[in-house]
Amino acid sequence: MQISKLIVSSVLSVTLFAQVSWGQIASTELVLGSPSTVSSQAKVSQFVAREDVAKAFEEMGVDPKTVELKLASLSDDEVNTIASNIDTLPAGGDGGSIIGAIVFIFIVLLITDILGLTKVFNFTRSVR
Amino acid sequence: MATRDYLFFLCATAALFILSGCVAKDPLPQGKVYPSTSINVPFISPRQDLCGSTSIQMVAQYWQANSNYSPKLSLQELDQRTLLPLKGGTLQLELVSAARANGLIAYPLEPNFDALLSELAAHHPVIVLINRSYSWYPLWHYIPVNGYDITRKEFLTHFSDQPNEPIGIKTFAELWKRSEYWGIVLLPPGEIPASATSKKFLRSVYELEKVGMVEEAIRSYQSALIRWPEDSDIHFILGNSYYRVDRLSEAEESYRRFLLSHPTHPLALNNLALLLSKTGRKTEGLALLDNAASKDPEIQKILRDTREEIMKK
Repeated sequence: MQISKLIVSSVLSVTLFAQVSWGQIASTELVLGSPSTVSSQAKVSQFVAREDVAKAFEEMGVDPKTVELKLASLSDDEVNTIASNIDTLPAGGDGGSIIGAIVFIFIVLLITDILGLTKVFNFTRSVR
Repeated sequence: MATRDYLFFLCATAALFILSGCVAKDPLPQGKVYPSTSINVPFISPRQDLCGSTSIQMVAQYWQANSNYSPKLSLQELDQRTLLPLKGGTLQLELVSAARANGLIAYPLEPNFDALLSELAAHHPVIVLINRSYSWYPLWHYIPVNGYDITRKEFLTHFSDQPNEPIGIKTFAELWKRSEYWGIVLLPPGEIPASATSKKFLRSVYELEKVGMVEEAIRSYQSALIRWPEDSDIHFILGNSYYRVDRLSEAEESYRRFLLSHPTHPLALNNLALLLSKTGRKTEGLALLDNAASKDPEIQKILRDTREEIMKK
């Protein structure tokens, strides 16, 4: 917890610093139609979202240093999306196809066992 | 559980299989014919849970061999950035941000076959997200699509342990539909997606600029200007990027060109005024600010602050 706070504040300070160094140059974001001037309220909710994502990443087994790297390269919009949907977002892996297939066959045979069409497993009792 | 419940479950399962057999006859867009292509994307063997990282790496290697792009991250760094160990995979947004950190522009593909096929025809490999299984037992997987065969009606992909594995169009459509046709075009700076619109492309480039790759972004804005010469906003955006890396004379020229078509644009006047005062032309800068007006209180504040800053110098 302590660690994730520290990381987030350092990430946040980096982004704030980047804004300050822009000086008075009005930003490209205005032309591209994204909000240019961020209200302090929005900044606070951004902070919370970043902290949420940092925590979620850590819980999913990412080490703190990598969490910092990951957060630094995500835009505010992206952080918001992840913060609100992390449990349901798809994560492409290699599919674990062999294990997947075994699980699938297991379930199919379990169903056919229960239906009394097969007798693969000792622990099943057919409904017939 | 009662027998009735089992029967219901059986019917549901049967219905599922029957329905899944009803594949759309031809998922391809009607009307336009796309040529067969085969893009020579280097193949990397799959590794457990790391298809996101591997896909980026394959496309990055392709661009390394076919443009002056050089990757910013090692494969190990890509792995680290993309993997969520307990999820056993990579979120779409993480794939995007990791590709960006690797120095590539990540352009979100329009979710349809037209966009996919026009990118392939332009020799731009596309990474798509598919679900190899059903939604009730999802097996999410990223694959680079690197070719299309119009006569055999197949896509070529680095799907798993064989390079250029063909997947029939109907099967591909089924798998791809489950991610709502999600795909991403990864391009080196300066290259523009075949299916791009100007604003969406500029936004993807700006994301790259925001993570610090300003020179790379400038190269892409310059290409955008060639592709969409009528979009004068690009001059303003380019002006800001030049300013950011202290290429002040080019920044000045860009702002002035933008002001030709938008002579009273307050933000462009603001930025040019600052630039002029920075290069020893304080009076000229202040005169520009006199022409800058806006009803937006935020912009009014920017203009006031700029005037104060210039006066102080």
